[in-house]
Amino acid sequence: MHRRQFLALAPALILAPALPLRAEDPIRLRDLYNKDLSYSDLALARQGQRLAVQGFMAPPLKANSVFFVLTNRPMAVCPFCEPGMPWPDDILAVYARRIVEVEPFNLPILVEGRLELGDATDPELGFYSKVRLREATFRRA
Amino acid sequence: MTRLLLSTALCLATSVAALAGDLPQAQSDWFKAGQATIAERMTVAPITKPAKNVILFTADGNGVGTNYAIRLFSGQQAGGLGDDYVQPQETFPHVALVKTYSSNGQTPDSAPTAAAMNSGIKTKNGMINVLDTVNVGDCAAGATAGTKTFAEIVSEMGKSVGVLSTARITHATPAAVYARTVNRDWEDPSKMPEGCAQKDIAAQLIDQMKAGVIDVAMGGGRGHFLPKDVKDVEGKDGKRTDGRDLTEEAKALGAQVVFGQDDFTALSTGGNAPVLGLFESSHMKYETDRTGEPSLAEMTEAAIKTLSTNENGFYLNIEGGRVDHANHDGNLYRTVTDGKAFADAIAVAMKMTNPEETLIIVTADHEHAIAFNGYCGRGSNILGLCMEENEQGVTHTGKPNLADDGKPFTVAGYLNGVGSVLVKQADGSFSGARPEVTEDQATDKDYIQQALVPMASETHSGEDVAVYARGPWAHLFGGVIEQNVIFHVMNHAVKPE
Repeated sequence: MHRRQFLALAPALILAPALPLRAEDPIRLRDLYNKDLSYSDLALARQGQRLAVQGFMAPPLKANSVFFVLTNRPMAVCPFCEPGMPWPDDILAVYARRIVEVEPFNLPILVEGRLELGDATDPELGFYSKVRLREATFRRA
Repeated sequence: MTRLLLSTALCLATSVAALAGDLPQAQSDWFKAGQATIAERMTVAPITKPAKNVILFTADGNGVGTNYAIRLFSGQQAGGLGDDYVQPQETFPHVALVKTYSSNGQTPDSAPTAAAMNSGIKTKNGMINVLDTVNVGDCAAGATAGTKTFAEIVSEMGKSVGVLSTARITHATPAAVYARTVNRDWEDPSKMPEGCAQKDIAAQLIDQMKAGVIDVAMGGGRGHFLPKDVKDVEGKDGKRTDGRDLTEEAKALGAQVVFGQDDFTALSTGGNAPVLGLFESSHMKYETDRTGEPSLAEMTEAAIKTLSTNENGFYLNIEGGRVDHANHDGNLYRTVTDGKAFADAIAVAMKMTNPEETLIIVTADHEHAIAFNGYCGRGSNILGLCMEENEQGVTHTGKPNLADDGKPFTVAGYLNGVGSVLVKQADGSFSGARPEVTEDQATDKDYIQQALVPMASETHSGEDVAVYARGPWAHLFGGVIEQNVIFHVMNHAVKPE
């Protein structure tokens, strides 16, 4: 293994030592939505299955939580925390298996989890979402 | 005397051409194209009739550098190398460089820059059409220090006025057509101090429709026109805290109010009724993500059709509002695709108007912290990697240039922003190295260009922008000018006596 490859993998080993990601091609968050924000064919076909999605971790709504929002492009401020801020439409709600260790908002991450579609509101946070990844793990991309 | 000068010029041109024909490079296509440009320039004559119509195009954040990126992208999309591509506004005969600083900012924001173009003065960052003797946010002082806008001036001359933007129609650039405010963020009452002597920006738009100043207004920003307990046609909450539904108030004025592509298409043009189009709760979508709402070119066509029915003429202010937003995101793909959509709107306006009676001005309000690497061979994708020059031909070799760290680099980057290579560490410090990037990654529509200074949002810069013009009095543009001169050219063009 080259030194550079080892260095790139090192953070992943530290973050998720027991939960390696499956060796499948990750998709982009945008692949789950059509332009009109309806579910894409890929999303409908993979509903209920585990899949890996690349995106960015939005600054979390709450500390010490298993929940975070995956965004298509980096969002420096939590768009859901400030009243009046426009929400990005193409987001993915992630429910991790463990308490989330927060990643910098501008580092690409790869999240693997079970794809769940349908309108849902988080009972604790009141957060509304159309697409979720459950039992998720993640690492830097 | 004029005839003598012209004949002298003709003689000089003839003798220069004769001399040029003897040069060894005279048969080069480059040389001939240069000569053709001179011949074309010599036919340019000032148009000194009053301008019946004025169209002011602003792509927010589209300075000389950003415009360069859009030119290359458009040319490469058309199948060429990119750098020799000519955008519609680049065919205009009159051009100047514009100094964009505000009265208190070496780097401006879009509020004072829009005020400069609509009122003829420089003012403070954050303020629109209010004299710079006032402090930002001072409601009382602002109430008595407002300017008279170009829209109000031409309205008194019997002309119609339109304002279009792909950003919120209450955002700074379009707001400067119809509003005066000591704080650009007061798009609805929710953020205003109690008892403030001015109205919020959305309410001022409706007031100007009532007053007969604004005839067409289309863009995003629906939320600022609806009460907070009302959901819009897409299920998003209104923002107004005063309970007013301004869309209903506009309808009561007889306005056609539209919210999406279908009712936009069904608009009847040519009537006297005002038009209010609000196609998103906030900003309209980027061109690449657009669905269910009109393009800037489509809005431009509809607006010109409607406004042209006034025989006294019109003033139309058109903003490509999201070139700026994509730059702030460090996402060059959306910057250039929205820039191309802006150029398409200019092409529509050029086709629908006569240069003998319509002054078209194309400019930007400010530049961004965008920058370009070298030395890239021709045809290097403006979104992608800087490829080696080809010493045996024209098009690059296909091999990326490498920096001293052994890694390739993209043609374009940003001096600051979310793409910073310095990343926040667990201890709060910032450190990092440039990531490896491939051509496929760099040309992806969501790619964030590498940047240096870590910032939550990439910044504007104070660098010059260009202004391009054709039509009556367009020849008044030249040299390096202050941004507020744009107003004075428009003002002179409509009443030159």
